[in-house]
Amino acid sequence: MVWKRSDDQPSHSPEPSPSSPPRPAAPAPAPAAGASDSQRRTDRATIGPSIFIKGDLSGEEDLIIEGRVEGKVDLKQNNVTIGKNGRVKADIFGRVVIVEGEVDGNVFAREQAILRQSGAIRGNITAPRVVLEDGSRFKGSIDMEPKDADRHGSTQAPQTVQQQREAKQQQGGEAAPAAPRAASA
Amino acid sequence: MSWFSRSSGPRREGGSVQTEVEPQVHKSLALAALFTEIRRARKCQVLDLGSAVGSNVEFLSQFGCKLFIEDLYAALASRTTVGEGDLAGPEFFSEFLALPDDTRFDVVLAWDRLNYLHRKELAAFGELLRRYCRPGAHLFAQIYYHKQIPAQPNRYKIQDEAHLIYERQTAAERPSPRFAPAEVTGLLKGFRVDRSFLLQHGIQEYLLVRE
Repeated sequence: MVWKRSDDQPSHSPEPSPSSPPRPAAPAPAPAAGASDSQRRTDRATIGPSIFIKGDLSGEEDLIIEGRVEGKVDLKQNNVTIGKNGRVKADIFGRVVIVEGEVDGNVFAREQAILRQSGAIRGNITAPRVVLEDGSRFKGSIDMEPKDADRHGSTQAPQTVQQQREAKQQQGGEAAPAAPRAASA
Repeated sequence: MSWFSRSSGPRREGGSVQTEVEPQVHKSLALAALFTEIRRARKCQVLDLGSAVGSNVEFLSQFGCKLFIEDLYAALASRTTVGEGDLAGPEFFSEFLALPDDTRFDVVLAWDRLNYLHRKELAAFGELLRRYCRPGAHLFAQIYYHKQIPAQPNRYKIQDEAHLIYERQTAAERPSPRFAPAEVTGLLKGFRVDRSFLLQHGIQEYLLVRE
């Protein structure tokens, strides 16, 4: 089990480096001979900064999120990038998940999860390789067991920290074994 | 989403100017002992009370650990729940470590964070740690015996199993609580000192064990 150094770049990352934020619109590189417009459009999709989506996202192409998403992002076979402007309150399933913006939820990456310097995650990361760049903000747990990422699938995601907190509040502190646990302010 | 503050300034002791201070490498005898213990465990759960450091995550990955990162100082600096006086109470700490009740840690990396707690806070936090640690769990802590400590906790990077890189975040200082050895175990009830090492640069390292 090998985790890459924090300054490593994913070899297959479709995203630009931290110094060059992802562009909202897909660039138009010189198309390969014979490549149709529709083929090029399926390379990756972008949710722009002014877009707010509430619900589940799924599909079979890479995704860049620069807007706001609440719900679930389920692209297990593809790369998901939360751009610097992206604000996601959802569990994210992807092959490689790169976070440059803010995520409040769990991240499940089949290959690698990368938290860039500008990024923040509050939630749990499950991935065989995890990179936290210096300066990034993280609160939660990191589990490197690759089988967990598959096992959780899209139906058994563990609770986010916020969900755990809310569940505890609903329980009225009954689960606390010893010390008093008053409702949090 | 404003659950993260980019920088958490000094707590209570007034503002300080962020100053670049050269990182220093120091030997860590307690850390070396801790890793010896970790190697014996098959898969352990580690609670890191410092800030997220990528190289530490990478280093700890070799042990097959599940790592929880909860920055205690950042939470204290941005807290809204206030207990007695200006101190953080049990409610604050319960909210800070909002984990499933069956969570049990094998290792707690407290680094220098305990120096930034008042005695009552340390007692309250120790009680919570005791509940979340399985018997035999190890707690690594550094306690200053100098009168002054950095105004903000250091950022620690594990260089190897016996060396730590101290990245001081500010040149400003604040008074040290100077917890005496007996106070440490008196306030952290349920823990006993397994090993302690007095280091040359004014720090006593502790490896405590949950009884």
